[in-house]
Amino acid sequence: MAETAHPAEPLHGELAQVAEIAAEEAGTQDFEVALESLNQWQLAWRRYKRHRLALIGSFFLMSMIAVAVVGPIIWPYNPNDIPGVTTPGGDPPTLNPIENIFGTDFGGRSVLQMVIVGARISVAVGLFTMLIATTIGVTVGALAGFAGGRLDGVLMRFVDLMLAIPFLFVILVAARFFGGGDPVTLIVIFGLLFWPGLSRLVRALYLSLREQEFVQAARAVGVSDLRITFRHILPNALGPIVVSATLIMAGAIVTEAFVSFLNFGIRATDVSWGNALSNSKGYLLQGNWWWPFFPGMALALTVIAVNFIGDGLRDALDPRSKE
Amino acid sequence: MTKYIVRRALGLIPLLLGIVIISFALMKLAPGGPERQFNQNPRVTEAQIDAWLTRWCLEREPTPIGILREFSGWMGLYNCDTESFLSESGGLNVLPAFLGGGDNGILHGDLGISIVNARPVTDLILERVPATLILTSVALFLWVTFAVLLGVVAAVKRYSAFDQSVTFFAYVFYSLPTFWLGLMFIFVFAVTLHWFPAQGIVSPRDWPPFNTPQYWEAFGEDPIAAITDIGRHLILPVTVLVLVNIAGDSRFVRASMLEALNQDYVRTARAKGLPRRSVIMKHSFRNAMLPVVTNVALELPFLFSGAIVTETIFSWAGMGLLFIEGVNARDYFLLMGLILITSVLVIVFNLVADVVYAVVDPRIRYD
Repeated sequence: MAETAHPAEPLHGELAQVAEIAAEEAGTQDFEVALESLNQWQLAWRRYKRHRLALIGSFFLMSMIAVAVVGPIIWPYNPNDIPGVTTPGGDPPTLNPIENIFGTDFGGRSVLQMVIVGARISVAVGLFTMLIATTIGVTVGALAGFAGGRLDGVLMRFVDLMLAIPFLFVILVAARFFGGGDPVTLIVIFGLLFWPGLSRLVRALYLSLREQEFVQAARAVGVSDLRITFRHILPNALGPIVVSATLIMAGAIVTEAFVSFLNFGIRATDVSWGNALSNSKGYLLQGNWWWPFFPGMALALTVIAVNFIGDGLRDALDPRSKE
Repeated sequence: MTKYIVRRALGLIPLLLGIVIISFALMKLAPGGPERQFNQNPRVTEAQIDAWLTRWCLEREPTPIGILREFSGWMGLYNCDTESFLSESGGLNVLPAFLGGGDNGILHGDLGISIVNARPVTDLILERVPATLILTSVALFLWVTFAVLLGVVAAVKRYSAFDQSVTFFAYVFYSLPTFWLGLMFIFVFAVTLHWFPAQGIVSPRDWPPFNTPQYWEAFGEDPIAAITDIGRHLILPVTVLVLVNIAGDSRFVRASMLEALNQDYVRTARAKGLPRRSVIMKHSFRNAMLPVVTNVALELPFLFSGAIVTETIFSWAGMGLLFIEGVNARDYFLLMGLILITSVLVIVFNLVADVVYAVVDPRIRYD
């Protein structure tokens, strides 16, 4: 890493003085401005609002999160409560009773209840995988991109390695050998495997941003490397990072359902959308389509919603996009 | 050019070593170790397990040196029978057999023995290649063709109703979970309408199991009926694969085509009075296809690694299903072999993609 000589303290002081004077002048000259001033977040929100699909997506995701948090409290799931059915293979969707609006499984348990209780796993896996993977990805990418040199080489070779190994293979093997059906372990495995793509993106952003004038200026006034990395460059790289974080979330939700569908994910007795699909497989032949259909639909809609949000954020956070 | 390829190929060696280490580490880190796979089998005695472990240079509680020995044994540097780096004939074990080396380890093409089937992993994998190739090559061909058609038309008619609906459906199908789509297809087209079979590669009533010598005999007697039968089984899984994968590729083609349509030389060509069709086809399309070709080269490992999800749902006995069977049975050597082979394919095709790009695009120079 190229060590920049720290500028002498007086310069720093002088700059601060200049800034103070400027601030005082601005304060004394108090005049009204007809123009509405918007900071970049307000501008982004204005652009985001225009993306109708993204708005619908945000609304859907918010309600899904609300359902995931509140739903199981109001309507807890008891796997031993098997009300029984009148149709072999499960009762079809009906309005009477209303809780069977999505039909029942072979034992008469409400599919709607499965969708509600299963939302908790999907939402948790999506959100926490996104948090862990984004944190690792941004840290690794920022270190590699800002530091450069040997550290960059080592980190990026490791990323190459992670990306060369087929992702699904590793995730299935890891879930089978280390998962044990526990959602928390599964989230940790996902978090540790979902970051390499993002770190490559962050590195590329840092490589171009660190050459910009504002970084040189920050360095000239003696800001530390760590602070430049996270305080000055990171906000400028935020748009693409946020977009790929949403992609990670969508990917994690689908992957959890898929891994559970293959019985390597969440314990088969726990409720998740993937488990519902897996358990219902054998009853398709008896004509029970609603048992896999509605949990799968919930999964598909959630993922579509997250992808639309990502698309909206891409437009909103791109500083080059004009009003 | 040759120099560039050689340099890149040499650069792959550390990556390969890393892949080998990771697949080995996955096995070593798994709780209980590889001997745990015998837990389910009451007929296997402790002595037999020990013999099995020794056969593969494995130890129950290895020291760090022991782990190195295990790794060298798996690689083929170390000979488990002579317990040294020399082979039975006295040469260095790492050398090829005809130079006095050993015959164990991946360097000698020995991926180990599958625990479930008691057969060499290499044989098992090779046996599944035809089934996977039939499925993946048809699917890849179709989705690339459709993606190019849709992407180009969408780019040429930008913001038209057609473009908007392609964008919308691309998003929807991109987001749909493959396994759910597959289940729904089975329900609608196989269970309800009885149009297509739901499972397998061939109809079990009329044909011997696929990949057996008997099947190929029967195939020789009536190839047309055999191909029709496979074709009927192909329709559902191929449709699922095409629908899900077309989305990403068509977006890629559209973006690439849009860029090619906005080039200065396209404006020049239009300005000098060339017909629109010829400008689009000759000037834009050909240039837009450059990145697409690279992208397709990156998708080629899929041909051999198989489609895990689709193969599982449709019980298509290819590489993907083999992998799932291996995960289910904790079949270490099989899993290590499959991860190794598919990873090697990925990095090799990455190199191929770069080389292809350099060949088709005269502007690229590698020195």
